Amino acid sequence: MTKYIVKRVLLSLVTLWLLVTIVFLMSWALPSDPARAILGPFADEKLVEDFRETFGLNDGFFEQYFRLLKGLVTFDFGLSYGTKQPVWDVLAPTLWRTAKLATLAMIITTPISIFAGLIAAKFRDRRLDRGIVLTGLATSSIPEFVTGTLLAVVFGVKLGWFKAVAIIPEGTPPLQQLDYLFLPALALAVVYFGYIARMMRAGTIQAMDSDYTRTAAMKGLSSSQVMRKHVLRNAMAPTITVMSVQIGYLVSGIVGVEVVFNYPGFSQALLIAVKQKDLPVLQVAVIISALVYMVATLVADLIIAWLNPRIRLDMGN
Amino acid sequence: MELDDINSETAIEPAMQSSSMMIDAAPNLLQQSLAERKQARKERWRLLRRRPGFIIGAVIVAFWVFCAAFAQYIVPYDPFDDRDKRHMPPSADHWFGTDQTGRDIFSRVLTGARDILLVAPIAAVLAVIMGTLLGMIMGYFRGWTDNVLSRFVEAFLALPVVLVGLYVLTLAAQSDLLTTISFNSRNILVIYVVAVLFTPIVARTVRAAVQGERDLDYVVSARLRGESSMFIMTREIFPNVTGPIIVELTVRIGYAIFTVATLSFLGVGIQPPSPDWGLAISDERAVLAAGIWWPVTFNALAIITLVVAVNLIADSIQAVYQK
Repeated sequence: MTKYIVKRVLLSLVTLWLLVTIVFLMSWALPSDPARAILGPFADEKLVEDFRETFGLNDGFFEQYFRLLKGLVTFDFGLSYGTKQPVWDVLAPTLWRTAKLATLAMIITTPISIFAGLIAAKFRDRRLDRGIVLTGLATSSIPEFVTGTLLAVVFGVKLGWFKAVAIIPEGTPPLQQLDYLFLPALALAVVYFGYIARMMRAGTIQAMDSDYTRTAAMKGLSSSQVMRKHVLRNAMAPTITVMSVQIGYLVSGIVGVEVVFNYPGFSQALLIAVKQKDLPVLQVAVIISALVYMVATLVADLIIAWLNPRIRLDMGN
Repeated sequence: MELDDINSETAIEPAMQSSSMMIDAAPNLLQQSLAERKQARKERWRLLRRRPGFIIGAVIVAFWVFCAAFAQYIVPYDPFDDRDKRHMPPSADHWFGTDQTGRDIFSRVLTGARDILLVAPIAAVLAVIMGTLLGMIMGYFRGWTDNVLSRFVEAFLALPVVLVGLYVLTLAAQSDLLTTISFNSRNILVIYVVAVLFTPIVARTVRAAVQGERDLDYVVSARLRGESSMFIMTREIFPNVTGPIIVELTVRIGYAIFTVATLSFLGVGIQPPSPDWGLAISDERAVLAAGIWWPVTFNALAIITLVVAVNLIADSIQAVYQK
C-alpha cells in the first residue's frame, strides 16, 4: 500500500508541475501589456514603468516561472494588480466560505444520489428506474447558474421559503445560516445528483450481474448480506471516482451559483478580478481549483485501493 | 506459398493472375462492406427514430435552430429597440414582459438562440477534430509519445473549464497578438478557448477507442502489408472508431452550450447587446429579489430546453451505438 501511495503521489506532483507550466505558458502565448491595459493608453510612461517594476513584469521568462513554482510551496504568489495586496490574502478568506457551501451541497446530494442509484438498479428498466435516470440526465445537463436562478425564483421570491440572497449577516447562529445557504447548496446538489446517481446505478448493475454476486447468493447468503458485502462494496468504486471528479467540477459550478445568490465566496473575488484585469488573482485561482481537483481524485484513488485489494496489490508492483 | 510465387522471377504469370483476381475480387468485397456499413447505418437510424427521447430532443433543437436562423424576421418587436415601458410583467402585448430597458423579452428570447448556437457547436466540432487527431496519435503510437501526451492530457483535465475561461478570456481580450491578427470578435475567441479546453477530453475517449482496435487482426495485417502509419490510422482504424467519435461530438455540444452559457453569464463570453440568454440572466438577476421574476425565468427556461434537448439526443445516440 505504501508503495502504491508513494507512486500515486509522485504522479500527481508531475501532473501538478505540468499544469502550472501550462497555465504559466498561457500568459506567454497570449502576450499582453497588463500595465497599459490597466492604466490606459494615455497614462504617464513613468507610472507604467513603476507598475511593471512593482509587479515584477520586467523580469525574464524563467524568473517569473520559478517565482510561480516557488509560490506553490510558500503560498507567496506576488501582489494583486487590483488591491496591491498579496494574491493569497485576496483569495484565502473567500475560499473557506466557498468550501462551506460546497460541503453543504455534498452533504445534501451524496446520500440521496446513492440511494436513488441503488433503487434505480434494483428496479432496472422499470418505470421508477427510467424516471430516476431521466431526471438525472436533465438535472446534470443544466448549468448550475440556471438551476440556481429558477430555485431563487420559485422558493426564494414566489414562495418565500428561503432567502434568495445568500449574504449572511454577521453573527448569525450556524443553524439559521442554513436559511441563506440552503438554496445555493441545493442548486449544486441537484446538478451532482445526476452524475452520482447514474454512476451508482451503473456500478450496482455491473456488480449485481457479476459472478461473485451469483456465487454469494448461491452459497446461501441473505440478500441484504449480498447487497452490503458484495454489491455495494464494488459499486462504490466508480461512484467514488465520479464524486471526486465532481468535486473538481464543483469548483467551476460553484462560481455561477455564488454569483446568482450574491454569496461572498470565491466567485466574488474572481468577478472583481475579471473587471480589474487582475491576472495574478485569476491565475492563482485556476491553480488552486486544479489543486482541489487533484487532491480529490488522489484521495478517491486511495479509498478505492483500500476498498479493493486487487487494485492496491496490482498497482504496487 | 503465394508470397514465394510473387517473389520468384519465374512466377510472374501466376502472380499477375492472382493480382488481377484480387482486382476483380476487391470491388466486390469493398461493395459488400460498404453495403454492410450502409445497412448498419440504416439500422441505427431506425433504432434512433423509435426512441421518444431522441424525437423530443430533435424537435426542440430544430425549433431553436429555426429561431437562431429566422427569429429576427418574425418576432413581434425589435429585440434591440429600447422603450420606456421598463420591467412590465407578462401581458397580452408582451407575452414574456419587458426588460430593464423596455425591450420585449419574448422577442429577445427567440433571437437569443443565435449566438450560442453558433459558438457552442463550432467549438465542439473543432474540439472533436483536434481531439481525434491527438487521440489517434496517442492510441496508435503508445510508448513514449503516448506517455508524454497522456501526462499533458491529465494536466489539462485537472483545469476547471470555467475558471480557465475566465483567466484566458481576460488575458486574450487585452492581448495585442489577437487584435493584430483580427481575432477581435469575442465570439471567435470563445470558440477557440472552449475548443482547446475540450480537446484533451475528446483525445482521451478516442485514445481508448483506438487502443481497443490497434491489436485486432485487420490492423496487424495492414501493418504486415507494409502500409504506412498514416494510412492505417486514417483508412483502417478511423472508420472503425467513428461510433465513439459521433457520441463524443453530441455529448461535447451539450457541454459546450453549458460552458458558453456560464461564461456569458459571468460576463466573459458572448457580449452585449446580444440577446443571449446567459447574458440576460446576468443583467437581470439583481432585480429578482425585488420580485421581478420574468426576465430571468424565461431566459432560464430557454437554456434548460436547449441543453436538455441536446443531452436527450446525445443519450439516445450513445444508447444506439452501444447496442
